[in-house]
Amino acid sequence: MNWTEIMNFSRGLLLHVSMIIFVAGMSYRLVRVLLLGWQRDRATNKGSKLKGVIVNYLKGLLVLPFIPWVRRTFRHNELTFIAGGLFHLSLFVVLAFGTAHIMVWKSLWGFGWKSLPTPVLAFFSSVGIISMIVLLINRLTHPVLKLLTRLPVWINWLVVFLPMITGFIMARHLWFRYEVIFSLHLISVSLLLIWIPLGRISHFLFYFFSKTIHGAQAGKRAVTP
Amino acid sequence: MKEKTIYEHLREKGLSRRDFMKLCGTIAGMMGLEFVPPVKAPGKIPGPGPEAVVAQALTTRPKLPIIWLEFQDCAGCSEAISRSSSPLLSNLVLNDLAIEYHETLMAAAGFQAEKAKEECLKKYFGKYVLVVEGSPTLADDGIYCTVAGKSNLELLKEAAAGAAAIIATGNCACFGGIPAARPNPTGAVGVTDLIKDKPVVNIPGCPAIPEVTTGTILHFLILGELPKTDHLKRPLPFYGNTVHDHCLRRPFYEAGKFAESFDDEGAKKGYCLYKLGCKGPTTYNACAGLKWERGLSYPVQSGHPCLGCSEPHFWDGGGFYQGQSAPILRLDKNSTATLVGAGLAAGAALAGLNAVKKSRARKAIKTAASEKVSSGTGEEKKEG
Repeated sequence: MNWTEIMNFSRGLLLHVSMIIFVAGMSYRLVRVLLLGWQRDRATNKGSKLKGVIVNYLKGLLVLPFIPWVRRTFRHNELTFIAGGLFHLSLFVVLAFGTAHIMVWKSLWGFGWKSLPTPVLAFFSSVGIISMIVLLINRLTHPVLKLLTRLPVWINWLVVFLPMITGFIMARHLWFRYEVIFSLHLISVSLLLIWIPLGRISHFLFYFFSKTIHGAQAGKRAVTP
Repeated sequence: MKEKTIYEHLREKGLSRRDFMKLCGTIAGMMGLEFVPPVKAPGKIPGPGPEAVVAQALTTRPKLPIIWLEFQDCAGCSEAISRSSSPLLSNLVLNDLAIEYHETLMAAAGFQAEKAKEECLKKYFGKYVLVVEGSPTLADDGIYCTVAGKSNLELLKEAAAGAAAIIATGNCACFGGIPAARPNPTGAVGVTDLIKDKPVVNIPGCPAIPEVTTGTILHFLILGELPKTDHLKRPLPFYGNTVHDHCLRRPFYEAGKFAESFDDEGAKKGYCLYKLGCKGPTTYNACAGLKWERGLSYPVQSGHPCLGCSEPHFWDGGGFYQGQSAPILRLDKNSTATLVGAGLAAGAALAGLNAVKKSRARKAIKTAASEKVSSGTGEEKKEG
């Protein structure tokens, strides 16, 4: 088997199977979480649920991540907050505005949009990779985190880091033949897709549910979420 | 009688010594010979230049016999050779440097042609170069491609038996090409899949670049061996770099400037065609360097993305106009709906089972508690 065949396999069957596992697995996870049930909210409606949800999203996605120091929790975990925030931001920027990624979305959904200039993408992907390394070092050295970290967490880190680093190397045409690094990137992405429904990275979906519910609860009580 | 050397043959045709030396230089360039450094280090005696090596070979060797077979193909590689960017040169290669049996291009036809081939095979046994164009087929004993009642498998084996070297030209002969595209009804394969006991070199492309085919023939003629190859048996002088490596639109790729459609502003300005499906980054070929039509242009220069025609199974490698990063197999709406449905159903079923289990457990606890209450000790009451 040569690298051209491996590339065709990873672009074709492997990615296909991992997408099947991802879609079916996430649907499964979703219904399992939803059917756990939640307590009826008996509070009387004093405000607007919708308003609460909107405010909660705006604060959670657009305001607080950029002024994290206003949060009390920030003061004990500055490093985790900043590195974690930068990691999420850069991951989003590269996934949503990277040229090659836009073509993936276009092939899946039928429409695409403008990509960011390559140097900007290079900046964000480096920031993402550095943040991941910082977070790893933090986890390896922090006495409490060390105790809390078990195997699945290391796997989480690895399956997220591998696509990032292989993607970075591929986009910059460093060291490897293109088809080799392209295959490695796709294999690592497939690993990630398969792992997501099994692990905590599924928070990328559940985050939105918790944000909505907390927002609605706060809105109902007319308090700021 | 001693066979005439190529040089003697050319002199008879009226080529001057000066023109002959020029020709040797051209041939050396075409072969991609690069064993003399461009700047000769002072104090060192330089070895013979590439043109001298070529001249030496041409003045001492007789013409190289070539047998050119066609199997499942469109004859596009032969077309390309006959209309190549340097028609003089390829004419020269095929008429003056080599003796040839070519099914499509030869004047003879029918039984005459068959007879000529048989004679050629016998006379030059062990000396000739076999060029194969088109893919041999395996399905049903190769009956899908027959010439004069013989299946292509028979023809290939018969011709390969006495070949000094084999050159597979075009993607079909190298990797099966279009006939091998899914579902490959004729069981098309590449020559290298069938011939294991002879030196074989692949010149893939759709069609193969004529200068690369002739350059490889010349390499064998002059150096007596096939050029060094990569893992897919492609000669390194021509297939050492990707189309992307030498692309004239590469700066636009680096700057992130892409044509979004074939008629937008970016396309007019000559931006990179990566988003229009260019396979240049994974395609090893000499297009961007040698180009076509006397170095006039090549697909990417003319505004069309590279299809990756020198790579195995390029026909099945996803849409030609879909970006290379796009998955080859995609989930359509129906299969996505089915998958989501399956996931939801499995989740709901397990949740249902859990709910039943839970309610049973609850009931069991209740009945146990009520039984204990009725039998009555203080401690158990607390538990209940």
